[in-house]
Amino acid sequence: MAGIVKPPGAFAITPHKVSVCILLQIYAPSVQISLPFPFSSVAQHNRLGLFLLALTKSCDDILEPKLDELIRQLREVCGLLHDWFIDHLTSRLSSISSPDDLFNFFTDMRGILGGPESGVMEDDQVILDPSSNLGMFLRRCILAFNLLSFEGVCHLLTNIGHYCKEALSSCPSYEAACSEDSNSNLEALLEYENMDLENLVFEKVTEEIEARKSASETVPFHLHAPQTFFGLVEGHDLRRKIVEAALRDIEVLVDVKPKQGDKDREASSYVHPPNDTSRDFEPNCGIFLRSNWQIQGYLQEQADAIEKNGSCVSLNSFELILRRLHKLAPELHRVHFLRYLNSLCHDDYFAALENLHRYFDYSAGTEGIDIVPPASGCNNFGRYEIALLFLGMMHFRLGHPKQALEVLTEAVCVSQQQSNDTCLAFTLAAVCNMLSEIGVSSTSGILGSSFSPSTSIGISLSVQQQLFVLLRGSLKRAESLKLKRLVTSNRLAKAKFDLTHVQRPLLSFGPKASMKLKTCPINVCKELRLSSHLISEFGSESSTMTTDGAFSTVWLKNLQNPLGSVVSSQENGSGSNTNAFQFYAQPSSIPGSVLQLIGSSYLLRATAWEIYGSAPLARINALIYATCFTDALSSSDAALAYVKLIQHLAVFRGYKEAFAAIRIAEEKFLSVSKSRILLLKLQLLHEHNLHLGNLKLAQKVCDELGVLASSVTGVDMELKTEASLRHARTLLAANQFSEAAAVAHSLFCMCYKFNLQVENATVLLLLAEIHKRSGNAVLGLPYALASLSFCQSFNLDLLRASATLTLAELWLSLGSNHAKRALSLIHGAFPMILGHGGLELCARAYIAEAKCYLSDPSFSVFDNPEVVLDPLRQASIELQVLEYHELAAEAFYLMAIVFHKLGQFEEREEAAASFQKHMMALENPDEGRQSQFF
Amino acid sequence: MIELEGPLGKSDAVNRELVSLERELSTLRKNAAIDPFGLYLYGLVLKEKGSDSLARTVLVEAVNSYPWNWNAWSELQSLCTTIDSLNSLNLNNHWMKDFFLASAYQELRMHNESLAKYENLLGTFGFSNYIQAEIAKARYSLREFEQVEAIFEELLRNDPYRVEDMDMYSNVLYAKECFSALSYLAHRVFMTDKYRPESCCIIGNYYSLKGQHEKSVMYFRRALKLNKNYLSAWTLMGHEFVEMKNIPAAVDAYRRAVDINSCDYRAWYGLGQTYEMMGMPFYALHYFRKSVFLQPNDSRLWIAMAQCYDTERLSMLEEAIKCYRRAANCNDREAIALHRLAKLHYELGRPEEAAFYYKKDMERMEAEEREGPNMVEALLYLATYYKAQKRFEEAEAYCTRLLDYTGPEKETAKSLLRGMRTAQSNIPSMDVEHLPP
Repeated sequence: MAGIVKPPGAFAITPHKVSVCILLQIYAPSVQISLPFPFSSVAQHNRLGLFLLALTKSCDDILEPKLDELIRQLREVCGLLHDWFIDHLTSRLSSISSPDDLFNFFTDMRGILGGPESGVMEDDQVILDPSSNLGMFLRRCILAFNLLSFEGVCHLLTNIGHYCKEALSSCPSYEAACSEDSNSNLEALLEYENMDLENLVFEKVTEEIEARKSASETVPFHLHAPQTFFGLVEGHDLRRKIVEAALRDIEVLVDVKPKQGDKDREASSYVHPPNDTSRDFEPNCGIFLRSNWQIQGYLQEQADAIEKNGSCVSLNSFELILRRLHKLAPELHRVHFLRYLNSLCHDDYFAALENLHRYFDYSAGTEGIDIVPPASGCNNFGRYEIALLFLGMMHFRLGHPKQALEVLTEAVCVSQQQSNDTCLAFTLAAVCNMLSEIGVSSTSGILGSSFSPSTSIGISLSVQQQLFVLLRGSLKRAESLKLKRLVTSNRLAKAKFDLTHVQRPLLSFGPKASMKLKTCPINVCKELRLSSHLISEFGSESSTMTTDGAFSTVWLKNLQNPLGSVVSSQENGSGSNTNAFQFYAQPSSIPGSVLQLIGSSYLLRATAWEIYGSAPLARINALIYATCFTDALSSSDAALAYVKLIQHLAVFRGYKEAFAAIRIAEEKFLSVSKSRILLLKLQLLHEHNLHLGNLKLAQKVCDELGVLASSVTGVDMELKTEASLRHARTLLAANQFSEAAAVAHSLFCMCYKFNLQVENATVLLLLAEIHKRSGNAVLGLPYALASLSFCQSFNLDLLRASATLTLAELWLSLGSNHAKRALSLIHGAFPMILGHGGLELCARAYIAEAKCYLSDPSFSVFDNPEVVLDPLRQASIELQVLEYHELAAEAFYLMAIVFHKLGQFEEREEAAASFQKHMMALENPDEGRQSQFF
Repeated sequence: MIELEGPLGKSDAVNRELVSLERELSTLRKNAAIDPFGLYLYGLVLKEKGSDSLARTVLVEAVNSYPWNWNAWSELQSLCTTIDSLNSLNLNNHWMKDFFLASAYQELRMHNESLAKYENLLGTFGFSNYIQAEIAKARYSLREFEQVEAIFEELLRNDPYRVEDMDMYSNVLYAKECFSALSYLAHRVFMTDKYRPESCCIIGNYYSLKGQHEKSVMYFRRALKLNKNYLSAWTLMGHEFVEMKNIPAAVDAYRRAVDINSCDYRAWYGLGQTYEMMGMPFYALHYFRKSVFLQPNDSRLWIAMAQCYDTERLSMLEEAIKCYRRAANCNDREAIALHRLAKLHYELGRPEEAAFYYKKDMERMEAEEREGPNMVEALLYLATYYKAQKRFEEAEAYCTRLLDYTGPEKETAKSLLRGMRTAQSNIPSMDVEHLPP
C-alpha cells in the first residue's frame, strides 16, 4: 500500500517528547565529565542511549506511550538506576509550571547539543552530535517548540500537566515501588542533586552500588564498572577502548538478534493483539497532532492484522475508530479501504460493497495496491479496473461465484482496454484461483456465455482444461511483467493443479502406457522450488519494499518484544540479565506476503508428499511450515499445518496423543478456522469409534461430517466424498455389506464424474474391502486390481501398498493354496508399509503375513515359531496403542492358537485373556468414555 | 487531530466539550429548569453525540413549548429520515407544524404531499416568497418546469434582489436552454452578491450551457469553497468533469455529493453513467440500483439500468426486460423502453410479446404524431407477424400503411401484399420473404 507518500510532516512537540528530551539531558548533560552522573558504567550509559534511540525512532508511531508506560519501560531497561531516572523525570516534568519554564527548558536543551565546531571537542565530554539520530531528534524538538505560538506553548503546558497527572493517578505501583525500596537513596540523591557534584558523585554512586550489592546478592554487578573508574584516573585512551568494546558488543547483539527475535515475535503476536493499540487509540486521539505518516502506518498495521487473522479484530469497535478517523481526516481515503476489509472479514456484504465502491470512487484506484508499479505514462482515466478486481474477489470471498466471474470478466476487458498489464495478470490469477476452487464442483452455468453448454461431464472437464490454459497464460504474463509474487503464486497454483489433476484423457486410461505424470511429487516440488527463488530476490531489494509508516511501527514492535522477554527471564529466576535487552537494528527485510507465499509452498509440498505416501517428508514440510512461518501466515493456513501434523500423530502414535494435540490446537485457534480443526476432530473421532467398535457414535460423527459438507458457501467436493466414504466404512463395520457397497458405488460414480482420480483409487480399494469382508473374494479381486493400477499411474505409493495388502488378503481367503502368492505380495509391499505406513496398516500387514504362514500347508509352526509369533506380537502392540479391538482380538486369537500348538499353555492363557478382553470391549463399547471428546 | 486538509478547507473540528455540556443540560432538564431554547441546545448536543432518538424527543419538547424557533424544527427534520419516524413525532397542532411537515415531506421525496401542504399554507400567507419558492422546489422535483419558471419570474418581480433558490431557477433555464434568460439571471445575482454560493452556481450553469466547461468548473469550485456541503454544486461539477472527460474528478465530485446526502439520486445516476462510459457496466449497476431505489418513478434511471444489462458484454436480457418494463410504466418520455422491449422479445423468440410491444409503441407514436424508422420497423414487424398468424386483414392494413413510406420497406410491403393475395386465393406462393424487422 504505497499510495500517498508524503514527507513526514508536522513534528509536533508533545509531553512524551519533552520526557524524551529530559532523558536525553540525563544521557548527555553539558558537564565536563566523561561519564555523566548517575551512571556507574559505560554499558549502563550505552543502554540508556540505545533505549533513547529506540524511543526517538518510534516517535513517528501512531501512539505515544503515556508516562506510566514510559516509566515501566525505563524500569525494565535501566535496571539499577531506574528509580533515579524515574524520579528525575517526574520531578523535572512537574517542575514545569509556567510557559517560561518551558522556554528555559528548551534553551537548556540547546546547550547539550554540540556546536558546529564539534570536531575539536574534547574526549571526556559527552556531547550530542547535531547530525546524529538523537541530535536530530533534539533539534527537531527545539525547532518545533520555537515554531509554537504562545497559545501552543500554553497547550503544551496543560498537556504536560495532564500527562503527569494521569500517570501518577493510574500508576500507584510507581509510588509504591519508589517508597518501598529506594526511599532513602532517593532522598540522598535528591539532596546531592543540588550540590556541587564534582567530587561527591562518584563516591556516592559506588557507595550505592556497593550497598545494593551487599543487600541483594542476586544482582550481578557489571564487570566494566571498576575498569571505568580506573580509566577515569588513568586516562582517556583506555576509556575509549572500553567504549569501543561496548559498541562492538552492541553490534554483535544486533546481528545475533533476528534469530532469537523470531521466536519472540511469534509469542508476542499473540500477546499483543492489535486491539490493544486500538483501545489506547480512543481516549486521547484528539489531543496530539499526528502526522499523515503515522496514520498511514497505523492503517497498514491494522490491514495486516485483519489479513492475518480477520476475526480477531472486532467489527464494531474498529469500525468506530475508523469512522472517527474519517471524520477527522475526510481526505484519508484509505480509511474506507480498511472499513471494507473489516466488514469483509466479518462477512457483512452490504457494508463491504458500500465501502469498496466508496474507496475506489475517491481514490480512483491510484493508491492502495502495492504491487502495481506506476504505469508507463500517467493516463488520467484512473485505474478503475483495480476496483473491478477487488469487487470480483469480494464476491468470490462472500460466495457469489457467478457475480465474481462476471466482474472479473469485466476487469479483464477494462484492463485490456487501459492496457494495464499488471492488473490483467492479477485478474487472470484471480480467475484461476476461483476456477480451481469452485470449478470442479459446479457443473453448469458458471462460465456463462463464453462457453458452449454440453453434458455435465463435458463441462466439468472443460472447466479444468480452461483452468489449465488460464494458468499457463497467467504464468507467462506474470513472468514477462516480472511480477515476482504473482509468478510465485501462479507456480503454486500450477503445482496445486498438477497435484490433483491428471493430465491425460481418461478414455485412453490403462496400465499399458506408462507415462510420466505431473502428479509425481518430484515434479510438483520442482515447480515449487522455482517459486522459492523469490525469497532471495526479495532479500536484495528490500529497501524498495518499505512502505510508508511500516518502519515506525516496526520499531515499536521490536521495542515491545525484548521488553517482554526480559520480564519473563527475570521471572524465571535467571537473574536480571541485562544483556537480554537487545534491539533489532532493522525490521525484517522480507515482506509478509512473500513469506506467506513461501510458506504455502511448504504446505503444498507436504500435501504432495502426503499423497505420494511419504509420511516423514510430509511431516517435515508441515513442521517447517508451522515453525518457520507462523509469523507471516494467516491463521487458517497455520491451522491446516497443525491439522496435518495431528493427523500424522494419530496415524503413528495413536489417538490419545492426537486428541491431546487437538485440544492444544483448539485453544490456539480458538477464534479462527474452527471448521478445519472441527473437521479433523470429527475425522479422528470417527476413526477411533470405528476401531473401538462404537458404531452408533461413529455413525453420528459421520452424519455431522455430512452436515459440514453441505455448507452454505458452496459444496466442498472433497468434504463430500470424505463424508460418504466414511459412511460406507461405517456400514461396512456394521456388516451391512450391500448398503455399504451401494454407497461406495455411488461415490465412485461421483468421483468419476468430477474427475477426482485420487479419491477413485480409495473408493475402489474400499469396494474390494467390502467384498472381502462379505466373503466374495472373487468379486473383490478386480476392484483391488483396478485400485492398484490407479495407484500405480498416479504415483500413490502408500495407497498402492495397502491395495497390495488387500489383494494379498483376498488371495489368502480364496484358499490355502494361494498362500504363497499372497505372502510374496505382502513381502513386496513391506518396505513401503513399514517405512511410511501408519500403525493400522503395519498391524494389518503383520497379521496377514502370519496368516499366510499359518495357512500354508508346507509351513510348520514347530520348526520356526518366531516367524509367526514375532509379527503377531508386533501387531498386537500397535493395535493396543490404536485401541483397535477387532484386529487386536484377531492377533491375540492367532497367538493363542500358536501357543496352544506349541504347548506353551501359560502364554496361551495370557493371549486368550487378552483376546477375551478385546472381544468384551468390542461388544460393549463404552460410550461414556468417548463423550469427553465432544 | 490529523494534519490532512481537504481540497476545500480544513476538516471538521471535534468538540471535546460535548460530554460536559450534555451532563449540564440533562441535569437542567431533569430539574425542569430549562427553557425551550435550552432544550434546543440540548437537542443539538445530543445530535452531535449521536443519540438520535433522545435528541428527537428533546427537540419535540422544544418546538412544542416554543413553536417559532425554525432552527429547532430544521434540526428535528434532519433527524427524521423515514416517514415512520416522522409520523411517530408527538407534535402540538400549530401552523408552524405545517411548515415543518411540508418541508419534511419534501426531504422524504413525497413531493405531492409537500405541494399540497404548501398550497394550503399559501392560502394563509398569501405574500410569502418562501412558500412560493418551496412550491417551485416541489414542482421542480415533479419536473413541471413551465410552472417553476412562471413562479420564479413572479418571485423576481416581487423581490428583485433575491438570491436564495435562484440556482434552481437557473437549472430550469439550463434545461430549457434559454441562453439569454440565464445570462440575465446570472448578471442579476452577480450584481446583487457575487460571493454567494448560489450566484457562483448560476454562473457555472451559464458557462456550462455555453460549453465553456473549464470556466464552469471554476465557478462551481468557488461555490464549493463558500459552502463545501453545497450538494447540487458537487453534482453539477461532476457533470462538467464528465463533459471534460476527466473521469476520476467526475467520480470524486459525484461521490462527495453522495456522501453529503446519500439520497441524491442524480449523483448516484452520474456515478453509474460515468462507470458505464468507461465500459464497466456491471460495476455501474451498483450505482444505478441505488438511484432507482431513491427515485423509482423516473424512467431515465430505469432505462439507464436496462441499458447496462443490455450491453453486449453482460447481455443479461431478462433483467434488461424487467427494467425496461418498469421504465415503460413510468411514463417514458424518450420512448426508448417500448421499442427496446419489442426488440428484445423478438430476439428472444417471443413473437406475441414482441407484437404487443410494437403495437403499443406504435400507438404511442401515433398519439404523439411522431414518425421515423421506429414506426417503419413496427409496421413491418406487425405486418409479417399478423400474416404468419393468418390474420390477413390486420396484416393488410399495416402493409398499406407501409406503402406510404419510401425505401426498401415499401417494396417488402408490396411483396407481402402480393403474397397474401395469392395465399388468399389458395395458390401456393413461392416468393414469401421472411424479413427481420
